[in-house]
Amino acid sequence: MIRDFFELVGRYAIFMKKVFQRPRKWRIFIKQCFVQADSLVLGSVPLVALISIFIGAVLVIQTANNLQNPLIPKMYVGYMTRESLALEFCSTMICLILAGKIGSNISSEIGTMRITEQIDAMEMMGVNSANYLVLPKIISATVLNPLLMLMSYCLGLIGGYLIVTMTGIIQVADYLTGLRYWFEPFYIYYSMIKTAVFSFLITSIASFYGYYANGGSLGVGRSSTKAIVVASASILIFNLVLTQLLL
Amino acid sequence: MIEVKHLSKSFSGKQVLFDINAKYEAGQCSLVIGRSGSGKTVVLKSIVGLFEPDEGEVWYDDVLFNRLGEKPKRELHRSIGMLFQGSALFDFATALENVMFPLDFFTDMSRSEKTDRAHFCLKRVGLENVDGKFPSELSGGMQKRVGIARAIALNPKYLFCDEPNSGLDPHTSVMIDKLIQEITREYNITTIVNTHDMNSVMEIGDKVVYIQEGHKLWEGSSKDILDSDCAALNEFVFSSNLARKVKNIK
Ligand SMILES: Nc1ncnc2c1ncn2[C@@H]1O[C@H](COP(=O)(O)OP(=O)(O)OP(=O)(O)O)[C@@H](O)[C@H]1O
Ligand SMILES: [Mg+2]
Repeated sequence: MIRDFFELVGRYAIFMKKVFQRPRKWRIFIKQCFVQADSLVLGSVPLVALISIFIGAVLVIQTANNLQNPLIPKMYVGYMTRESLALEFCSTMICLILAGKIGSNISSEIGTMRITEQIDAMEMMGVNSANYLVLPKIISATVLNPLLMLMSYCLGLIGGYLIVTMTGIIQVADYLTGLRYWFEPFYIYYSMIKTAVFSFLITSIASFYGYYANGGSLGVGRSSTKAIVVASASILIFNLVLTQLLL
Repeated sequence: MIEVKHLSKSFSGKQVLFDINAKYEAGQCSLVIGRSGSGKTVVLKSIVGLFEPDEGEVWYDDVLFNRLGEKPKRELHRSIGMLFQGSALFDFATALENVMFPLDFFTDMSRSEKTDRAHFCLKRVGLENVDGKFPSELSGGMQKRVGIARAIALNPKYLFCDEPNSGLDPHTSVMIDKLIQEITREYNITTIVNTHDMNSVMEIGDKVVYIQEGHKLWEGSSKDILDSDCAALNEFVFSSNLARKVKNIK
């Protein structure tokens, strides 16, 4: 069991060494980065936006219900919503959702290329297939997903604002005061760092499982399930580690 | 020239290749024939390094392939063109982009030069007007031909074709055989072709290796094949009524 684990980590490390090599042609690499940014990052915008607005609204309602005590100012609803979004929701939750979405996408795409020998064909041309296929995915997701996190943060706050204006659960002015209360910019950086690390984990782990898929279409299905489970678990572990280190 | 010495290969305990020895000369089409499941594809993939042989040596001219590190292996792969049994076209790219893929990576040609070269290769396999089509929009035989065009795009020094004419009609099949033979002679390529098509054997087989259940049982030129006294080979070659009749007439 423990040996299996270290063997897996070793294979992952070897795979990463193959991925992180100087691209043979920068022009091809940069073009691939744009293609991947489009499919992995821009493609996730609608889903992330939708979830963020709804969760922002739900957080406001839940917090307001829990702060019935008349001694606590209502502006704390806005403050706590902001902090939950910044600290945990926009990074960890969104990345767990992305682990399912882009993780399965990447591992089934690369897995299919493996079992239909497209990766072998690339290797036979002398192309480093891991570098060509995987590096652009890792780079574009790791660099751009933190921006997705910022978007999610803003939309979450907007979602909260919308529910406040629609239901009048607290005063709009209280909500807005809460949003500005005791603002700690480092929390935003912390969340962006987490998102970058999680995005790296998702793309690299999903690629790893896809790259070593075997056993036909069943194998591709198996490897994409494994990829999602392992990516989600590593997100949770790294969340703990990073929080311990950074906060 | 490619030389294989004492090649053995097994998969999870089941031995598939037993002590294969063979020498393939440049400028010749060498054919590997045998029944389905006899180990032809495994031989080919062991030669190009997609399978790690359990034992044995593979020599490309005077280079011992097995011992090469990752970088030199990649260098060598650049001089190899390979057609896979299932074509293995990239399904994110159109037919034209598939053929241009190796050109993009390994040449400094301008875009129009690359397009010209790709068109030239596609024309040689009898394909025109497929530029913008994705592999999923092509028939099996057309995919095979795009695969051949891609394999010859960089003027390889070594050419490997796994069943180049399975799934092709007799006419196109002959055309592909002729093409493989022509470019082999023209550029002095070392060509290895897996096939179970007796037409190809008689047409282009400068040298033929017969494999059965992982053992090499016979080797010779296509002219000798009809007169061989290897029982297993005769059974393979003369398995159809037509072929038996031809033999009797002879
Ligand atoms: N990746 C693999 N894992 C396990 N066994 C394999 C693998 N590839 C091939 N084999 C086994 O090796 C033997 C030879 O297979 P191979 O693909 O070389 O046959 P072939 O001669 O190419 O047949 P065909 O003409 O049908 O393509 C078969 O018994 C097959 O089960
Ligand atoms: Mg085969």
